[in-house]
Amino acid sequence: MSSSSSARVSWAELAWPGLSVVLVLAIWEMLVRWRGIQPIFLPAPSSIVYYLWQMLLDGTMEYHLGVTLLRILVGFFVASVCGVALGLLMGMSRVVARIADVWIAAFYPLPKISLIPLLIIWLGTGEAYRIVISAITAFFPVVMSTYAGIRQADRGLIKAAQDLGASIGQVQFKVVMPAAMPSILSGLQLGMGVTIIMIVAAEMIGGSSQSGMGYLLVNSGQVMETEKVFAALVVLAIAGAAIIKLQQWGDRKIAPWISDER
Amino acid sequence: MDVVVDGVSQAWGSAQTRVVALDRISHRFRSGTFSCILGPSGCGKSTLVQIVGGIETPTEGAIRVEGGAAASAPGAHSVMVWQSLNLFPWRNVIDNVAFGLEMQGMPKAERYERAVALIASVGLKGFERHLPGQLSGGMRQRVALARALVLERPILLMDEPFGALDAQTKIVMQEELLRIFEATKKTIIFVTHAIEEAILLGDEVVVMTARPGRIKEVVTVDLPRPRSIEMINSPAFGKLFDRAFHLIREEVNTAMAQQAQTLSEHA
Repeated sequence: MSSSSSARVSWAELAWPGLSVVLVLAIWEMLVRWRGIQPIFLPAPSSIVYYLWQMLLDGTMEYHLGVTLLRILVGFFVASVCGVALGLLMGMSRVVARIADVWIAAFYPLPKISLIPLLIIWLGTGEAYRIVISAITAFFPVVMSTYAGIRQADRGLIKAAQDLGASIGQVQFKVVMPAAMPSILSGLQLGMGVTIIMIVAAEMIGGSSQSGMGYLLVNSGQVMETEKVFAALVVLAIAGAAIIKLQQWGDRKIAPWISDER
Repeated sequence: MDVVVDGVSQAWGSAQTRVVALDRISHRFRSGTFSCILGPSGCGKSTLVQIVGGIETPTEGAIRVEGGAAASAPGAHSVMVWQSLNLFPWRNVIDNVAFGLEMQGMPKAERYERAVALIASVGLKGFERHLPGQLSGGMRQRVALARALVLERPILLMDEPFGALDAQTKIVMQEELLRIFEATKKTIIFVTHAIEEAILLGDEVVVMTARPGRIKEVVTVDLPRPRSIEMINSPAFGKLFDRAFHLIREEVNTAMAQQAQTLSEHA
């Protein structure tokens, strides 16, 4: 009884958002056709799909997307390892926390994108520059969430562990770190979001490698191939959503207790 | 093993804002005795039991464990069951129960064997792989109890463990605890603010005053064991209840007046 009614609710929940997308696309298509809007300003959805299909067939889309995804992974990996490591060290040592706090306070408010000119001077416009700019940006939310998670670990759990005979080291590794896990994972989600943004932005500025979704967007825009711009945006949106869903799925695998608690 | 509380005081804050939670408490909790500490909220009864467990350090006085092995660090012979349970939400039932053994470095097979036996004895067989978040309040309470019992320490400290449970579950858990006490003859120190609970469970009821917490009187509960919930209707129970209620009533009034004053000072 209750299961069938909840199934009906989820059907409606699935159907309405999908229907709204179809409706918007249909209105868009009709508007472009009836008013004769130039494809250079606003191409019809059907022609965007056609261009997208062509780019998938000749492999340009796969190439640019693959390059971008690889850069995102590398930047995110560097930021995660450094951010989690420093956050844990800050949580364990007051001295490290004091020192790092000064530097974080100084650099965190700075828009990281403003470092691009300096990084191009130092590193050129190659892979190093793109990885570094995205890793720096993602590093801050990761390190701050990790440190916050360690500091906010439930005092009650720590006391209980000590009462049950845990040593200081055991409390750190068996209680404080797992207790910080939800905060660390949400920091990594924030980090992934900004990594995607910064990689694409870095590909748009100083794209000497002539590759990646950012380069594809800028290049298609410059030659007024608006259909390709839209096609690239569609692919970026889908890829971004897929990365975030995948990360959420991974988080549930790593820390299944989080959803139970809330 | 007797637990001797010797002139224990606990105070917080600076000279101006000094709050005395406990004022020169002395009491001997005898080996194999079920003692209930009864007092109005804010009287420092949780603080007292945490000091007994070595979790907090008193500003004055000391805790001694007499008899048995040579003296050791406070808390080495006792284990606490917390009001907020403090189960590790990322550990399933078996790993929560086996936590203390794991910290001692006991091999997995051995600690699991002991944890499984205890989980079964508190009626949670089949739930070994569940996370605390997937269990009901009463089941979580049983996990917390098993996690403490598995260490086989002679002194069991319980800080209002059944406070958050619904009335029916509370009765079931009280009977469960009585059964465990009567089977193991542990020394139990049980903090509560419920008069019936204190009388139903305890061999003695240590009635505390409002802040600063002192021992007002120790009521000996001479009801026979094994106890059961039906005893609540007996005349002997009623007499003990009246006596404890009489003792606690004016302390509750004092505590409420204190809380009202604190609130108006903060307003």
